[in-house]
Amino acid sequence: MTADRPLCILIGALGGQGGGVLADWLVEASYNAGYPAQATSTPGVAQRTGATTYYFELFPEKNPPMDPVFTLFPATGDLDIMAALEPTEAGRALERGFVTETTTVITGLDRVYSTAEKMSAGDGTIDGKPMMESLEKAAKDVICLDVSNLAGSSASRINSVMFGAIIGSGILPLSEKHGRAAIEEKGVAVESNLTGYNAGLQAARNGGSEILEDPDRPLKPAPASFNERLETYPEAIKATVAHGIAKLVDYQDAAYADLYLDRLNLVRALDTEPTLVLTREVAQRMALWMTFEDVVRVAQLKTRPGRLARIRGELGVSEDTPLRLTDYFKPGRDEIIGMLPPSLSWLLPRIKKLERGNGLALHIPTGSAFGFALLKILASLKFLRRRSAQYLEEQAYMLEWLEAVKAAAALDYELACQTARLSIWARGYGAVRRGGHEKLAAIFTDWSTKLEAGVDKVAADVDQSLLLAHANPDATH
Amino acid sequence: MDGGTAVARVLTVGERSFKKEIEKLLLSDGETFHGEGILAITKALLQSGISYVGGYPGAPMSHLIDVLADASEEILKPMGIHYEQSASEAGAAALLSASIGYPIRGAVTWKSVVGTNVASDALSNLASSGVVGGSLIILGDDYGEGSSIMQERTYTFAMKSAIPLLDPRYNLGRMVELAQQSFDLSEACSMPIFYNMRIRACHLTGDFTAKDNKIGKFNANNPVPDQIYDVDKIVLPPATYRHEKAKFEERLPAAQQFARDHRINELFQGKGGSFGIITQGGTYTVLLRALRRLGAADAYGNTDIPILCLNLVYPLIPDEIQDFMAEKDHILVVEEGNPNYIESQIAEIAQRCQMECAIHGKDVLPMAGEYVTDVVREGVAKFLTLVSDEGENSTAGIAEAAIKNEYSVAQSHIRGPMPARPPSFCTGCPERPIMAAMKLLMKERGKFHVSMDIGCNLFGSLPPFNVGNTVLGYGLSLASSGAVGPSLGQSNVAIMGDGGFWHNGFTSGVINARWNEYDSVLVILDNGYAAATGQHKLPSTGATPIGKASLVTIESALRGVGVEWIKYVDSYSLEESKRVIGEALDAREYGLRVVISNNECMLARQRKERPAKAKALKAGQTVVQEKFGVDEEVCTGDHSCMRLNGCPSLTLKESSDPFKETPIAHVDQGCFACGHCGEVAHAAQLCPSFYKAEAIRNPRPMRKFFSAINRGLLSAMGA
Repeated sequence: MTADRPLCILIGALGGQGGGVLADWLVEASYNAGYPAQATSTPGVAQRTGATTYYFELFPEKNPPMDPVFTLFPATGDLDIMAALEPTEAGRALERGFVTETTTVITGLDRVYSTAEKMSAGDGTIDGKPMMESLEKAAKDVICLDVSNLAGSSASRINSVMFGAIIGSGILPLSEKHGRAAIEEKGVAVESNLTGYNAGLQAARNGGSEILEDPDRPLKPAPASFNERLETYPEAIKATVAHGIAKLVDYQDAAYADLYLDRLNLVRALDTEPTLVLTREVAQRMALWMTFEDVVRVAQLKTRPGRLARIRGELGVSEDTPLRLTDYFKPGRDEIIGMLPPSLSWLLPRIKKLERGNGLALHIPTGSAFGFALLKILASLKFLRRRSAQYLEEQAYMLEWLEAVKAAAALDYELACQTARLSIWARGYGAVRRGGHEKLAAIFTDWSTKLEAGVDKVAADVDQSLLLAHANPDATH
Repeated sequence: MDGGTAVARVLTVGERSFKKEIEKLLLSDGETFHGEGILAITKALLQSGISYVGGYPGAPMSHLIDVLADASEEILKPMGIHYEQSASEAGAAALLSASIGYPIRGAVTWKSVVGTNVASDALSNLASSGVVGGSLIILGDDYGEGSSIMQERTYTFAMKSAIPLLDPRYNLGRMVELAQQSFDLSEACSMPIFYNMRIRACHLTGDFTAKDNKIGKFNANNPVPDQIYDVDKIVLPPATYRHEKAKFEERLPAAQQFARDHRINELFQGKGGSFGIITQGGTYTVLLRALRRLGAADAYGNTDIPILCLNLVYPLIPDEIQDFMAEKDHILVVEEGNPNYIESQIAEIAQRCQMECAIHGKDVLPMAGEYVTDVVREGVAKFLTLVSDEGENSTAGIAEAAIKNEYSVAQSHIRGPMPARPPSFCTGCPERPIMAAMKLLMKERGKFHVSMDIGCNLFGSLPPFNVGNTVLGYGLSLASSGAVGPSLGQSNVAIMGDGGFWHNGFTSGVINARWNEYDSVLVILDNGYAAATGQHKLPSTGATPIGKASLVTIESALRGVGVEWIKYVDSYSLEESKRVIGEALDAREYGLRVVISNNECMLARQRKERPAKAKALKAGQTVVQEKFGVDEEVCTGDHSCMRLNGCPSLTLKESSDPFKETPIAHVDQGCFACGHCGEVAHAAQLCPSFYKAEAIRNPRPMRKFFSAINRGLLSAMGA
């Protein structure tokens, strides 16, 4: 029987992912196996092109009576395999009409975020779950490749894993050995590519990787001395409150954690809903805010036990490898004065170097005993913190926020929850943080008057402010 | 002074190798060539007896220029073929002047339509004089998906200069055959020939049976004995009037005659009938796929419908068209791009011959855009239902409805849009920090208009930087700022790559700005190569494409025309770049001020450094392994750093603290430690989250000793 159409594969990749090499392997494997095939592409060079595609057709008959017609473009209903080296490229192929009920989608699961996703001040990443559900529904089959967790594939690049999965899916009339020979002939990083290839083969034969739900991020327990106070909270929010306590004790001391609970209880007393959403929101957000990153905190985090070991791990070097570590600090006048009590601010001379926008550029060699000791000394200054100017300033903003939440709670539960979420503005360092404070100040000025004038208007303003806080502040349109 | 980088580069050029490709170019008679389209055409040139070859690189035909540069010793010199990577497309077109009076064959290549625009002065003159030696212009047509340029047709140039244009059917054997026949065609009609290849055709893979390479009768090893003087070839009146007449009375008719005799165009008779399709060669396989999907052709391209495949799209051959139209009621013309020149000419032929046949084309197919399979299929389906008595119930009508339904069902499952992925600077690119510096300067001084140039620098116009306002052409940024600055009451600000500088920027931009006393700031990004085309060498690279040391510095060119204010910046030092560009903006009494950033293209650098480091590591030498990182507890997740960076390796990750609601910054394993992250954090006073880590691999004994002491002290402090 003669074949009546070529088998078609579209490869969706990002510059630098090796889509071109993958297409070459497919061509070589077909050539070796004796099947007519053609690949083409619109590659630019490396990362400069953003998304790029490669298109491959194979005629599943050896020595056909005539040259089969191969074409240059994927089309609706033609694709047997959509091979995406990044999952949104599979989504894009679906948008463009290339994925239909006749298409098997093979996709890598590791996201490579786009610039637009990265630029949002909040979480601008797209939700992968609905996208995967659309693919499941629209395609004949979906084979997922969790490359970072596939046995043996972690050292390989995704293109080799994908090549294995394409062969392993059995859709092309090419055998395991044809694929292997293609990798060997191409001669590029043969060993690690073969490892990836084998991992991909196995994964496809087993139906691909399972899509795992993101595991819940673990909440830390509170120190035992807080057991009694913790017992006063309902089970539903106990773990959240405990995590907050743990953060505050780590940041300052037990007394500071007590202050946290005292403040939290003011809100809890107003929380009328059995779900305790408001209490949970405040517990989470106030803990973050109360552990604001002043110079002392940064020094503490930069000298955490195990930090140097973790960084050596990132570099993949042994623990006795000499490590030079440079930390970039640039405290401005505000940050330095912020460490001192307000009454002592005159100690710091008014020099241009420290004016707003400038700052003292420091490259701290934290990998050396000297640099580490310097930061350790800074970190030990936390006994000064609760009298420092920055502390007092942050507490003032925080209390204004807390009062606003409470006032809203008396009128409208949802508004109170949204108001609690406004604490996102208390973020960043230097100018970013000052800008956030100004936003909060603007919205909380005359808060009670605004509430009296009408909850709806306030709710709209708060929603708008939250949208803005999560958006890309540099968006041009 | 050149900043020192070019000289260092001279010593390390030739890092890429095209050994496998060169082997394919040496295949002899009867052997099977297996490879890419553009390489197949390169082989066709060698089989055609050329004596010179040149061009200006650009996707999708750069490969031709790259491979031949590497094949210089092995292939070109023994065959006496002169090779050059020209300074611009105009320079490449001017090479063809060798074939005006001398019986030698030559070929040039560039990216079209942009390259053809640049070359058109030389092309018009060349086409007026005509040629005696076969002359081929290979056009890499960058149209449609993946294109980096404005969308226009090259066909216009063929018509205006009366240059025959081939648009071959995409089958490697046929493409090679047509490329070789083009030289004969050129000699038969005394005109240069355009040979057009779409981007996907350049990259398609296939096979053909090779022939021996052929040495041109006259070449560098066997020169033409005498120079020839013929005043009739000079483009001056009265010869120009004779040239114009000759084009239409002798040359084009000769081309039509040759094409008929050699069956350049292909007629697929089918079963005859009352309708037929005329297609460009380049859309033939797309048309056949469309017909198969509509139930009108099989997988081998057998179809009942008569098809005339025009591999020669200009000039058309009226008799051939007339024969095809005879006894047909309807013709469909599948012609990509606009204006629809072919369709219009066919309509004219039909009208002059008083034929009753209806001409369809852009009425069922879209006016603009690439003719991909789905687009062509939809148009052909309209045509087939129109000419069928059964209309929508014809085989094609039913098949098209089924495909449309399949499409709609799949689309109905989509729940939200995918993120756009515009191009961006590579990891560690030295151009990124300049764009960050401009963005920061604009925050401080207010926004100013920036004229951009062709090349990677143009990505600065895109997020996250958004600093470019206009782009007008290669090397034209400074010239294009001429009226903008005065109109806005500011200095002209232009950015230009080194590629643009040498292509056109020095003459049209710098000299013009000097002469007309512009109040201008020009930022030149001297990364050592025309990086956007795929790292091609330039006069300021330090070596020629064939690896011979040769250096023309940008600074000496600038000084030579009297530019006084020239400052170098290390673009990786953001503070310095920002300060110096600021100074340039303020130094208005100096006329043209030039800031040069001369850090090497990171792709080129890594191509050399990575293997060198790996080798040194293996050999037990001390190697510093660097990477940047983010302390996740310090990062508050507001992504200010991303909005000044855009590096692919600076990305997002979920925080391990469940209280943090936004993802935090994260530097992945692709980092080359260029340092921009830290510089941004410093310059914009963002945050102390970034760190630079350097592991000293294979340390010397002294270093080991002190490191052990250091580790002891650190662990005593609880590290």
